[in-house]
Amino acid sequence: MSGRRFLGLAILLLVLLPFVPLLLWSVSEQWFYPGLLPQKFGLRSWSYIFSTASSQIAGGLVQSIGLSGVTTCLSLLIGIPAGRALGLYSFAGKRLIALLLLLPVIVPPLCVSMGLHLWFIRLGLAETFFGVVLVHLSFCLPYTIFVLWGVFADYNPEFEEQARCLGAGRLQTLVRVTLPFIFPGLCLAALFSFLLSWSQYLSTLIIGGGKLLTLPILLFSLMDSGDRPVAAAVSLLFVLPALLVLLANGRLLGRQGLSGVR
Amino acid sequence: MDPAHSRKPLSPLPILLLLFLLFLPHQARAVELDQTSWEETIQAADGQTLDWYMWGGSPAINAYVNGFVAHRLKERYNITLRQVPVKDIAEVVSKLLVERQAGKSSDGSVDLMWINGENFRTCKNKGLLFGPFAQRLPNQHYVDWSRPSVYNDFGTPVEGMESPWGSAQVIMIYDTARTPVPPKSMAELITWIREHPGRFTYPAPPDFTGSVFLRQLFYHQGGGASTWQGDYSQQELSSAARATYALLKELKPALWRQGSTYPNSPVRMNTLFADGEIDFSFSYHQAEASRNILDGLFPPTVRSFVFAEGTIANTHFVAIPFNARDKAAAMVAADFLLSAEAQLEKAKAGVWGDFPAIDTTRLPRAQQQQFAELERGPATLSNRELQAHQLPEPPSRVLIYLEKGWQEQVLRER
Repeated sequence: MSGRRFLGLAILLLVLLPFVPLLLWSVSEQWFYPGLLPQKFGLRSWSYIFSTASSQIAGGLVQSIGLSGVTTCLSLLIGIPAGRALGLYSFAGKRLIALLLLLPVIVPPLCVSMGLHLWFIRLGLAETFFGVVLVHLSFCLPYTIFVLWGVFADYNPEFEEQARCLGAGRLQTLVRVTLPFIFPGLCLAALFSFLLSWSQYLSTLIIGGGKLLTLPILLFSLMDSGDRPVAAAVSLLFVLPALLVLLANGRLLGRQGLSGVR
Repeated sequence: MDPAHSRKPLSPLPILLLLFLLFLPHQARAVELDQTSWEETIQAADGQTLDWYMWGGSPAINAYVNGFVAHRLKERYNITLRQVPVKDIAEVVSKLLVERQAGKSSDGSVDLMWINGENFRTCKNKGLLFGPFAQRLPNQHYVDWSRPSVYNDFGTPVEGMESPWGSAQVIMIYDTARTPVPPKSMAELITWIREHPGRFTYPAPPDFTGSVFLRQLFYHQGGGASTWQGDYSQQELSSAARATYALLKELKPALWRQGSTYPNSPVRMNTLFADGEIDFSFSYHQAEASRNILDGLFPPTVRSFVFAEGTIANTHFVAIPFNARDKAAAMVAADFLLSAEAQLEKAKAGVWGDFPAIDTTRLPRAQQQQFAELERGPATLSNRELQAHQLPEPPSRVLIYLEKGWQEQVLRER
């Protein structure tokens, strides 16, 4: 038991340790070699974020959460049926479809985004929220589908038939049998999708054309400044929501695994 | 005379007509804005939202733009300024190129952009700019257009297609605590590098700052700046460039990490300097050292200097894309940026410390006095000292030639 606790502590430390320098940088005013700690502490970087650039950053946060949320929901809506079809049935051209699905991940994102840009302008999708969701989807969907493909490969549809035999309706079967079964995989797929969309920079910039100022766009433009305290503070702000999603996901996954249903 | 020549006088007409028809919607709007009086432009700008795309890497500049400039534009002209920070304005130039290709000739999202040099040349050559508009701005008469670094942007004639915003000059940065007596010329710096192995480096071109160091060295090896402003032969260029690469190759073992690697940006170089790995940094921004002391990134003992023979200087500009939605607001903003008030605020060391694009001697006496009394920051040289040591940029052709050559000759031969 104490061994497990030690392991847990070690993992926690490994995850959290890299954040210590970030945290220190974000509250430092002066930090020169060879000082182990900053020579002078101060809140210059946080005051930049919370007063000077507050409206930009708050806007970016809202924009990012909205984009990633919508992208995640859509990618699950498309990913579940696709994953089910690929996992449960064998049909002609399955390998080809798998390859096609992987293409946006194999081809450099810059090419995908630039190629789509021209089309999106013609279709009137460039510089719109929906256009950016679409381009994010092209990067998120392969992951969602491949995770759910794996989930459905281990899935036994006979449980559904059994539920139907026992008098459950379609919706009831979905909510009480199918979803609980695939729940851990669903969480994982959602997590992938959210984090991928959350960290998109180039595709948001090209398709969004500066109309959608997400957090990564603000962050990347500041990263270049060499102003470590400000970059550290923005990084923390950027990581925090992703970390929260990860933790929430970890709890959900821990609460109810596949084993719990058996 | 061959028949093709004799027919020539007739042919331009249909082509011109076709061109005219092709660009009718865009041109019609442009002409419309060209003919309006300045009062009408201000009226048209009322209520517009100005999307200003610019490099967003500096919290100080962001604060100036989103604070002072945004507030004044809102107060005076009811223009809402929306800054769009980007990592590299070249990303925006390629966006405009794609829009040009896709035929999106109006209603574009970029209203104003902060550019110069290569990006301006690309925009001007590919017809991505609205204008000429610079002459129409009332505050234009404070600008000294006879200065070579104003009428020529890296060798590309400006011709009113962009409006000056500020100026920049290369300065060398050192720490008096470590280097009490810095070298005073390029020749002395080269000697210093040889005598202190591992204590100097420069960002790898085509980085902006690394590239200007290369040109500074090129001037040193190639007979001075004036040789490259007017006529020069390809042969002269290649022989001067060869001498530059030869010197850099010879200096390699005396550089930081024996020249096996270079910092990828001035930011990295500043960090190496602050961490005590190297003894010099340099910047294409006169007030960089003071600014970094103020932000606590450099120790307070840091100072700056310019070479006795001078350092390279240029002007940075704002331009309006061909398909900008809010051209009137963009023009009003470009004009406001040139006002004595905006230039003065920008020049304050605690704000940005950027040098004025206007000739301050053209201002009323009282405003001249305000510029003279500016707090300069501990490490910034005086205007007089800086202006007495300015060298113009060579044409972009030379710049590209040198950057390419450096990659092939200096970098590859490790």
